[in-house]
Amino acid sequence: MKVLEFDDVHRAYRKGENVLDGVSFDVTEGEVVGLLGRNGAGKTTLIRIAMGMIEAQRGGVRVFGLDPRRDPLTVKRRIGYVSEEQTLPGFMSIGDVIRLHRDLFPHWDDLMAEGLCDRYALDWNKRVKTLSKGQARQVALLCAVSHKPELLILDEPAGGLDPAARRDFLETSIQLLNEAGSTILFSSHHMSDVERMAGRVVMLHDGKVLLDDPLDELQENFAVAIVPHAEGRAAALQTLPECLGVRDRIEGLHAVLRLDPEHARRTVEARMGIREGRYDRLGLEEMFIEIAEGQS
Amino acid sequence: MFIVLSPNSGVPVYRQLIEQIRLQVTGGRLSPGDEMPSTRVLSSQLGVNPMTVSKAYGELEREGILERRPGRPLVVRALPPAQTRRKKLEQIRESLAPAVTTARQLDVAPDDVVNMLREMLDRTSEPEETP
Repeated sequence: MKVLEFDDVHRAYRKGENVLDGVSFDVTEGEVVGLLGRNGAGKTTLIRIAMGMIEAQRGGVRVFGLDPRRDPLTVKRRIGYVSEEQTLPGFMSIGDVIRLHRDLFPHWDDLMAEGLCDRYALDWNKRVKTLSKGQARQVALLCAVSHKPELLILDEPAGGLDPAARRDFLETSIQLLNEAGSTILFSSHHMSDVERMAGRVVMLHDGKVLLDDPLDELQENFAVAIVPHAEGRAAALQTLPECLGVRDRIEGLHAVLRLDPEHARRTVEARMGIREGRYDRLGLEEMFIEIAEGQS
Repeated sequence: MFIVLSPNSGVPVYRQLIEQIRLQVTGGRLSPGDEMPSTRVLSSQLGVNPMTVSKAYGELEREGILERRPGRPLVVRALPPAQTRRKKLEQIRESLAPAVTTARQLDVAPDDVVNMLREMLDRTSEPEETP
């Protein structure tokens, strides 16, 4: 079953400047999709459209087959959502916030909520305004997952958190996967978290989908070719159908290819006659940098 | 079970799991009949997507290293000695592959590489200390 469907989504905040410029992809039940892209690539805008907080100007979004602008309550009851700039009412205590969410969601799981409270060492009587950034985010996560949502949407959930708090986030999301088999869409700049969590990666660039691949394939069937500089060579590399981006670096040109290192070597040697190249696998972090920076 | 994941190595997590479990089986740290932790337990312990763990387990089952019995945890299978040897060789092949690529890229003669390997093997097979 399709949980999320983005169909040719367009959105501009100023006329003529599209933040999203025709984004289409689906997320199937049980999938964990990591949404990547540089700042300003349109990740948050896309997530807000899925949440029904803003509207697409062209194209559309379906969540559980419904329009989040027309059935906001039905849709939101089935979603857990945490974002970086989410704020909770400061005058409320943690206990108040939890009780409020408990009343809103029919599938609320008290055991899970209490377990997370213990794990995060949260004091029910503490007021929200006295919490650290990390604690406030933990309360938000607790509220987002304790109703066992069918879909969990995390917008840069670990932004500004220390590594230990980030790890808590990861483990809590994994607990939700284990207990409820939820579908997850999350945006993140932490590639090691993406590697641990995601089954599939969608990368946005300039408001478009630049990459949409299973994570395993991304790691096994992609390589970087490092070849010496030569007149016109960067442009020639760009024309290879497997090429995703070329970067001009001091030691040579870096080209990311949708091929494993051995095939990349054979392809570049055969089609471009370059003999003195180096071909390597890439970690996700390097791949992200190479591709994002390699766009002309 | 002791598994260390190296993020950002370019090797998919499920492959890292497969390699480390295989190594523990062929190296004797896991013995035939040993029970594997459930997908759920291992995924929370390592902080990885449970699907990744089941993918690795599935692959190891296909390879005949693990065995699934209905209603019971996955266990390590007893391998016949010939097969153990084959698995060991496969493993060495995998770790040698990058060296072969490097040799080719640096244009080093195959004989030189073979000699080097022989030298390294001879050196390390000598006992470290003789009482």
